[in-house]
Amino acid sequence: MEHYLVKDLMVPISEYAVVVVGTPLIEAIRVLEKAQEIYTISKYQHRAILVLDENGHIVGKISQLRALKALEPEFEFNDKIAELQKFKFSEAYIAQLQNKYRSQRKIITESALREAANKKVEEFMQAPSPGEYVSDDCSLDTAILQLTAGPHLSLLVTRDKQIVGILRISDVFAAVFHEMMTLKP
Amino acid sequence: MNELEKLFNRIVQRVNINLRELNFDVSPFAIELIPPDQMSKFYAFYGITPDHPPDLHFEHSAIAGSYFLGKSRVRNSLLYKSDIRGDELKHKDQTISFKNLTLALTKDEIIDIEDSALIKTLVHNYSHDPETPEKFFIKDTLAMDYSNIHGSPSDGCFLAPYATVDLTTMRDCVIGAYSYIQAGEISHLNVDPGTIWVNSPGKFNFFYKYPLTLLDRYVSLSPDKVPWGILIDFIEERKIEFQRVFDFVNLEAIESIPKTASLDRYAVVLPNIKIADNVLVSQRAYIENSTLGRGANAQENCFIINSHLEAYNVTAHGAKIIEAELGSGTFVGFNSFLCGKKESRLKIGAGCVIMPHTIIDIEQALEIPANQLVWGLVRDKAELAKNSIALEKMASIEPSFSQGEMHFEGNGALFVKAFKERIQHILEVNGAFFADGKNAGHAQKNQKLSLNTIQPFQFGPMEGMYPNIRILP
Repeated sequence: MEHYLVKDLMVPISEYAVVVVGTPLIEAIRVLEKAQEIYTISKYQHRAILVLDENGHIVGKISQLRALKALEPEFEFNDKIAELQKFKFSEAYIAQLQNKYRSQRKIITESALREAANKKVEEFMQAPSPGEYVSDDCSLDTAILQLTAGPHLSLLVTRDKQIVGILRISDVFAAVFHEMMTLKP
Repeated sequence: MNELEKLFNRIVQRVNINLRELNFDVSPFAIELIPPDQMSKFYAFYGITPDHPPDLHFEHSAIAGSYFLGKSRVRNSLLYKSDIRGDELKHKDQTISFKNLTLALTKDEIIDIEDSALIKTLVHNYSHDPETPEKFFIKDTLAMDYSNIHGSPSDGCFLAPYATVDLTTMRDCVIGAYSYIQAGEISHLNVDPGTIWVNSPGKFNFFYKYPLTLLDRYVSLSPDKVPWGILIDFIEERKIEFQRVFDFVNLEAIESIPKTASLDRYAVVLPNIKIADNVLVSQRAYIENSTLGRGANAQENCFIINSHLEAYNVTAHGAKIIEAELGSGTFVGFNSFLCGKKESRLKIGAGCVIMPHTIIDIEQALEIPANQLVWGLVRDKAELAKNSIALEKMASIEPSFSQGEMHFEGNGALFVKAFKERIQHILEVNGAFFADGKNAGHAQKNQKLSLNTIQPFQFGPMEGMYPNIRILP
């Protein structure tokens, strides 16, 4: 196990759900479903979609959370909330205010769903951050530390400055705890 | 480029360096700020009084039309028609308390202004910062017209017109036009215009922001233009009255002033006025056809026109009261603009607290009941209902409350108590409760004040600059 490298556990990019900028949300979800159908190597299904620019470079990622966020209407109070945070109102007060404002706007309506379905992926994708990259010849130890230190559920795996795969937390989890199960008492 | 322009450019660059993280450039606002020819036109002056012995130090600075009282040092700075009031500076051996700490001062407190430009700014030293008890510093700071730096040491800041920072140490901040900030300590904060923020961590947090489109009518600022709006025009229209009091060395005394009251010789007083005992009218105040009842005070840069103030009223720095009746003990905060009309007057009940930077601008007569807290923009009864609350109800709020654009979190009782104690302190130090030779304050002590003037270079490369001067008792 200690000799495992990132490349042993990563999902090659060719097997991942990938769309280009300009793709609507609904189309991106279809691509994800298709990738999930094809992918049978692991019981853990893909949960994210990668977004490429016109040159084929990865410029963003859409997790399930991001996709749900795209459903939220553009709340006009978001700026107000951000301002109150700046002026030191407590988390409890902000949460209370958000609930109050949100109760005035429904998310699951036909018109909101239609609107969200047509949103372009670049409007709600998450751009990769510096702590999100890991080299394919890195040890699994290093990758685990990187996953636990940051907010990412997967890491972008690089080789010679190119992104070649995705290291998913579910695959790391399965590998580590499978190893634990095999330990002799 | 003469020395004055070099000095101003240097100050602007220093402020910009401090504000680089906020990506804020003060240069466009500074261009029209000071016409250099004005800097040699006006004399500077300082107060001489046994209560606040002069200890002044001017070095490589221009200080046209500015006034100094108490211990101050001004270096590499440009002050234009500003008031530097050191009448509440702390003294050597005085102790200050902060929470459970007590600290004795090793020397007299000083107002120390360095590498800054203050335009028509009021600086009052009632400082609170336990980290710098002996030095009230203002450095690398640009403050525009009618801003107030009140008990607020400042390092690397920009204050837009009519901005007030009160009892708050600020570092590298931008304070938007007509914003009022009282928050203890702030840094790297860019505050939008019309923000009213009173924060006492662990006790309360009050926030209101003017709708920008409505505030624009009253005060506006944009690059490469001088500030404009109703509040700016209001003062411009009355500028000529101030010229008279500044042009003459000796003005005729007004005989109807009681001996316990003080009317500053640099205040504008127009008929018919009635001033009762223990009234304080500060310099650059403007009183026209009004009554100031016992213990009322009119602080610097305030205007009281066609109004009646019952008694013990506080009209804070820069507040304006027009066509109004104010009951006893009402407080009108910094830079508030209370504008009734001749045929539709404004009536404010006793004990009301009009928060700093409140605008009441009515077309129909309006009556505010006694003991209300009022904030923000009020133009009619509906807006009054949205932007006011009974002080008693406010005192019962915990843990939070919002009304209209106002947000409050914390203990309402502590908020009301803080205001009431502050008002009491102001009345006490201003001598409102003077009786039988006791409780003397500024109203009585200012009568022992005389003034000296100092002049700038009138010609040559130093035109507009002042010679280096040290003035000691």
